[in-house]
Amino acid sequence: MPSEQEVRTHLGKIAYPGSRHDIVSLGLIGEIGVQGSDVVVHFRPSSASDQVLQNLGGKISAALSALPGVGQVVVHDGRRRAGDAPQKAVAAQAKTPLPGVGKVIAVASGKGGVGKSTVSVNLALALKALGNRVGLLDADVYGPSVPLMMGSEATPRAGEDKKLYPVEKYGISLISMGFFLDDQSPVIWRGPIVMGIIRQFLRDVLWGELDYLVVDLPPGTGDAVLTLAQEIPLNGGVIVSTPQDVALLDVNRGIAMFKQVNVPIFGIVENMSYYLCPHCGEREEIFGHGGVKKTGLEVLGEIPIVEEIRTGGDEGKPIVLQSPDHAVSRVFHAIANRVMQASPKTLH
Amino acid sequence: MPHPALIVPIMEEKSLRILWDDDLLSEYSFTYLRGWCPCAVCQGHGGTRNFIPVANPQLESISAVGNYAISPRWADGHETGIYTFEYLRTLSEQYATLSQEQAKG
Repeated sequence: MPSEQEVRTHLGKIAYPGSRHDIVSLGLIGEIGVQGSDVVVHFRPSSASDQVLQNLGGKISAALSALPGVGQVVVHDGRRRAGDAPQKAVAAQAKTPLPGVGKVIAVASGKGGVGKSTVSVNLALALKALGNRVGLLDADVYGPSVPLMMGSEATPRAGEDKKLYPVEKYGISLISMGFFLDDQSPVIWRGPIVMGIIRQFLRDVLWGELDYLVVDLPPGTGDAVLTLAQEIPLNGGVIVSTPQDVALLDVNRGIAMFKQVNVPIFGIVENMSYYLCPHCGEREEIFGHGGVKKTGLEVLGEIPIVEEIRTGGDEGKPIVLQSPDHAVSRVFHAIANRVMQASPKTLH
Repeated sequence: MPHPALIVPIMEEKSLRILWDDDLLSEYSFTYLRGWCPCAVCQGHGGTRNFIPVANPQLESISAVGNYAISPRWADGHETGIYTFEYLRTLSEQYATLSQEQAKG
């Protein structure tokens, strides 16, 4: 019959996956019970995944069973011990996990009016065209433009438990503050309300199974952006800017914020990159071309000023959908491809 | 920036262990961790950080904050501290110096 100390010594030979530290010095092993020849080992509650604990459980059983005089070995997952005081979570997971949602991609810029919503809408549709299940969350609560750009005036259906179903349009699941307002009413809210709305969009919307959730962020580095970065682990950001220095000034702040909250940036999209005159075909670089390179980020694509982009947005038929072979649509497809490479969809 | 690979609070020892993905193992006593709480309630807005002693702090739970921080909830209801991974590394690497500061009060 082994002593508790002997058991502990043997468990101290088992390394944590990917580490040189053993599971005892990490504190993973809590109580050890020895009754006759039977040994019961309890894991402490930790941030370790079920998979890791299962794998370690197997190693523990094997190691202890090999000891002389040991009969049955039982390993208890520290988080589910019957009769225990309820163990509160030790989460390495997010505050608001989004069940069924694969990767969350934020489209951001430091400055307003550079085309975040245009990029978000067309990126979502390009991801969809590449065979993904896609959702689009319009987090710009003060100036929601996704409903207009997607040509959707529907109201989200209520589900059970005060949950909401997103609106479906062109095969994309949408949620936007715009669905809850008429066009005239201004949104006059202080920060805490904005944060509450964003949380609701994350927690109370039945997104279903998605490969990608594209989040159209409001300009700047304010409450909505920060709440998103804190509530859910964003998988990556796509930065949008126009090429002129005054836009880049703000964009650099946005980039710095992403760095601070540890969200990888896939790259930057240069919008309103140039204008091709429809009459003479001359290329006019109104805002100075290539300015976004100064940010040091990978340039994901250059989108020219083209009337079809504007009409597509105003009429609710985005260019990627309306003219999939247009040069601009091909740029959006390239951006979508790049996003997929950088964050391959998870298998459900 | 290293990320935590494993977070284990050890209630009976009143300490928190973090294994980082670069394989550093850090240990923080609850007293140390709570005293260096970075939130504005504890530290004000003066820009300097001080050790704010709390007698016998009890940890209740820990939640993740996005991709960059964790936030402990203490038994007295305090839960405004957002400890970025960077800050936790500093607290670990400068344990000796910061503990001295703590002793001076």
